[in-house]
Amino acid sequence: MKGFRLDRLPGLAVLSAPLVWAVLFLFIPYLIIFTYSFWLKKYPTFIPAFQFGNYAQIFADPQYYQVLLRTGKIALMVTALSLLLAYPFAYFLVFKVKSSRVRSLLYMAVIAPLWVSYLLRAYIWKTILGSEGVLNSFLVWTGILSAPTDLLLYNQFSMVVTLTYIFIPFMVMPIFTALEKIPRNLVEAAGDLGVTPWGALAKVIWPLSLPGVIAGATFTFCLTFGDFIAPMLVGGPDGVMIANVITSQYGAALNWPLGSALAVVLLIIVLIIIELSDRLQRKDRIGLG
Amino acid sequence: MKNTFVRKISTALVTLGLVAGPALADGQVNILTWEGYADASFIKQFETESGCKVSATYVGSNDDFAPKLAAGGNVYDIITPSLDTTYTMVDAGFVEPLDTSKITEWNNIYEKFRKSAGINKDGVTYGMPYAWGAIAFMYRVDKFPTPPTSIADLWNEQYKGKVSLWDDKSAIYVAARLEGNTNIYELNDAQIEQAKQKLIAQKPLIRKYWATAGELVDLYVAGEVWISNTWAGYQSAQIKAKGIDVKEFIPKENAEGWLDSWMIVKDTPNKDCVYKFLNMQSSELGQCGVANVNGYSAANPVAAKKCMKPEQYDALHQDDPAYLDSLMLWRNLGERLEAYTNAWNAVKAAN
Repeated sequence: MKGFRLDRLPGLAVLSAPLVWAVLFLFIPYLIIFTYSFWLKKYPTFIPAFQFGNYAQIFADPQYYQVLLRTGKIALMVTALSLLLAYPFAYFLVFKVKSSRVRSLLYMAVIAPLWVSYLLRAYIWKTILGSEGVLNSFLVWTGILSAPTDLLLYNQFSMVVTLTYIFIPFMVMPIFTALEKIPRNLVEAAGDLGVTPWGALAKVIWPLSLPGVIAGATFTFCLTFGDFIAPMLVGGPDGVMIANVITSQYGAALNWPLGSALAVVLLIIVLIIIELSDRLQRKDRIGLG
Repeated sequence: MKNTFVRKISTALVTLGLVAGPALADGQVNILTWEGYADASFIKQFETESGCKVSATYVGSNDDFAPKLAAGGNVYDIITPSLDTTYTMVDAGFVEPLDTSKITEWNNIYEKFRKSAGINKDGVTYGMPYAWGAIAFMYRVDKFPTPPTSIADLWNEQYKGKVSLWDDKSAIYVAARLEGNTNIYELNDAQIEQAKQKLIAQKPLIRKYWATAGELVDLYVAGEVWISNTWAGYQSAQIKAKGIDVKEFIPKENAEGWLDSWMIVKDTPNKDCVYKFLNMQSSELGQCGVANVNGYSAANPVAAKKCMKPEQYDALHQDDPAYLDSLMLWRNLGERLEAYTNAWNAVKAAN
């Protein structure tokens, strides 16, 4: 009983609720999925077993790694595009906007869509990018196009656009925070020592904001990697991502064992990425310390 | 102190049970079905007359029934799978035998349907035939100066980016027929592979695979799609109602036929309402309800004759069930189902 003190009880009580939550709704479901992944598909449904056939199938059948590769490609594109848009925007907010009211207004403008339903935000892009959508009508009206183009919707382009729009707040937030924390006198010191503004950006601001960039990239990549709504709504015949395959294994194919094995693979990939990003961030801190 | 707490909780639970109990027992029926099968136009009347509250959840494909039932939880009381899926429901133990003596109109339903292999196992009946029709094809009249007559038109480069196909294993049936394999329910691995390659070759022409009835309607209305397959009678009427002129056709490679049956989910607590509901659906109200809302043919010609105009009765082939024989009636694929769905998934996964 050493170390047990009555006055710790309230603390334990406060901690136990989230702990019970995590065990009940995260840990146990993961265990169930892990168990299912060794089961066997057998008409009409599936039966308990312990075998590695589902994992073997994932690596033997090209359809699964094709989809994994495509998912990785789309997640990378979304991450890169988000970074390209979010970094200059956050930089502009932190270093160029003088009025703090304008700054928080612009910041909120990016964050506010998070309060709108995901489905609605994805759906909206259909009406913008469609063959008879807003963008096509505009391009035809201005004479840039002679006829509406099919190239805007139901392909990987529309998926990347939609996903970037949806997940960009997760890139802006950590970068904004990282930039805001950079002491201004460091930037001024760089100027005093004869470094050009671009040099200061490259040698001072960018390295100091890297933890924010890494955090934002991790968020955006992992969220996109597991997405299945955008492919359904704005994706075309070449837009199936790994989460869609998992959905169809749990649904149409009624192959929960294979679906579970895929979910485990997806989970491992995401965990590896999070671990890598964590190491990168720690390495960074030491390097600058 | 602990005991009083437990006692309080149990009292609360019992009270809740007493309060909630009668409310539930007052009658409800939860159905997992196709869009239109629980349309307000005829369900409202049933609810008032029977005192049974109907709540419906919709599926987009026959492959949605098993996963929803396998998830358990006694959420649904009755389901309406098609003839390719009914037997799987029986085999998987998801449904219970039907007491046909409780269905007044039972003997008026086409005998061929009542006796069909998909809903009978070891002399026991598990389903009540309800509606039937064809998986026809459909095109936009203004975009086709010469009306299409073949499945090959869905592979025509000319309509690149304007083609759609149902996101369902039946895509394999379509491609197999185009390859000249008419034994679409008994394809061997090589023939399935052939169909798969055919579908992969078609992918650049596909605008989007449609997943629900409503999605295809939206695709036509938004000008995205000009030609596709369709649940004959249903989507074309909705698209026309929105001002786009479409026409259905049975291609020279023929079309599949389907028959939907009501099946009772095992151990449903709402049997009273379930049988009231089945009686309504097999009578004039339900039979003409589905014919008017979905444009499908009725399984009970006696009831249909009473509530349909002769033209409608004729148009729906009600006096000619041999029409259904001319179609390729869906069949249970049994253990081969996996090969078909796997091939279809591979098509969707392909680059």
